[in-house]
Amino acid sequence: MKTIIVLGILALIVLFIVAQYNKLIRLNISVDEAWAQIEVQLKRRSDLIPNLVETVKGYAAHEKTTLDAVIAARAKATTASTVADVAAADGMVTQALRGLLAVAEAYPDLKASANFLSLQEELSTTENKVAFSRQFYNDNVRSLNTAVKTVPTNLFSGIAKVTEREFYEVEDSQSRQAPNVKF
Amino acid sequence: MQATNRRKTIGLLAGMGLLTGLVVYAALTYFGSSGAAIVPFAVGIALFGVWGSYYGSDKLVLTMTGAKQIQESDNPKLFGLVQEVCIASGLKLPKIAIVVDPAPNAFATGRNPEHALIAFTTGILDVMDRDELQGVIAHEMSHVANRDTLVSAVAATTAGAIAILSDVLTRMMWFGGGRRDRDSNSNPLAIVFSLLILILAPIAAILLKSAISRKRESLADATAVSFTRNPAGLRAALEVLARDSTVVQQRSTSVAHIWIESPLDGSSVSKLFSTHPPIQERIAALKAMESLS
Repeated sequence: MKTIIVLGILALIVLFIVAQYNKLIRLNISVDEAWAQIEVQLKRRSDLIPNLVETVKGYAAHEKTTLDAVIAARAKATTASTVADVAAADGMVTQALRGLLAVAEAYPDLKASANFLSLQEELSTTENKVAFSRQFYNDNVRSLNTAVKTVPTNLFSGIAKVTEREFYEVEDSQSRQAPNVKF
Repeated sequence: MQATNRRKTIGLLAGMGLLTGLVVYAALTYFGSSGAAIVPFAVGIALFGVWGSYYGSDKLVLTMTGAKQIQESDNPKLFGLVQEVCIASGLKLPKIAIVVDPAPNAFATGRNPEHALIAFTTGILDVMDRDELQGVIAHEMSHVANRDTLVSAVAATTAGAIAILSDVLTRMMWFGGGRRDRDSNSNPLAIVFSLLILILAPIAAILLKSAISRKRESLADATAVSFTRNPAGLRAALEVLARDSTVVQQRSTSVAHIWIESPLDGSSVSKLFSTHPPIQERIAALKAMESLS
């Protein structure tokens, strides 16, 4: 009888440890997945840029500084790898694109072109997707970091090799919103 | 906000359970064990009826509402908006359908997030802007995330079982008045009480079912804001719906609860029986969230 009780308690302890360990691993994987989503969306936006630049060039070739700023920001974004670098580059691209769309305001022919309109819709949905994937990533990082710091999960972060992760912080305060241009 | 609504749903579902218990008690008092024998049958029939519609909800509702599933190439803008909300919520992309109807409305269904379907009327796509549509989509995806098809299936099963039970038992009373078991309770007070329960239970069950539906609507509004962090979008969308006086042509009560705005005429249905909270209350709740952020 006694051995059964002892074995039962031991089994409960093992189950408890496994549950905590799995929770940490699961949270860590969620952060990885959320990060992958950010990269997918940033890539999508990056792919849109050459097309957008070409379209704007067709109507407003002399807006060279604005166009170059977009191209430069895009180039910088492709080389970034750490969370902080990617976030900084992301902020620059968002800013440059906003500038480009503001410039487009002055060209009625450009604004009326079907190509630009469809690009613009695609850009605003991609910009929203980037923003939401940042938000989703940060939510996941928050749950992971809370688990790494609080009892009882913090006791197992060493065994699970799970540590706190970095938040995705974009400097630009307006960046949560898509470039908002009314036509 | 979300926690309160969840707690209230659990309370209401517990109320449903209690009500079923009362009906069983009434059956036992009045008819003894032969009355209680009906209980599993009633629950079985109700389960059978509801389970089918729950399991195949995504396909069934399509035929009931005349919604047509669309592909990304049919409406890339709408797909883009739904993908945005999916990224924000971490949910899978649902099936998307269109109902050809000038009245602005939308609904979500499906037994789980993997089989989710959200549908929009052509009216809502015409009248709403990006932010408003995003709010509506977030509301619908919240129903998916909160598994509201399951919640309403449970509520419908219980209400159905109670309705069948009370119906059968009251008939047994009228037609077989004398055939009471020896083990049935002979206390006149208990008998009157049981009678009252049997008469009132079906109405109480419908009231509880409607209350659960209303709580799930408020919960979906709150969850939607947690996805988009933009209460203004959904608020503006609800204002559009409130201003609009047209209602969807398909007005079956059996699917009334799934639309974002009730398709039934508000004035003819008492607030207690309504499947949706008054739209002005929902707008006020969202305004309160706006002032917080």
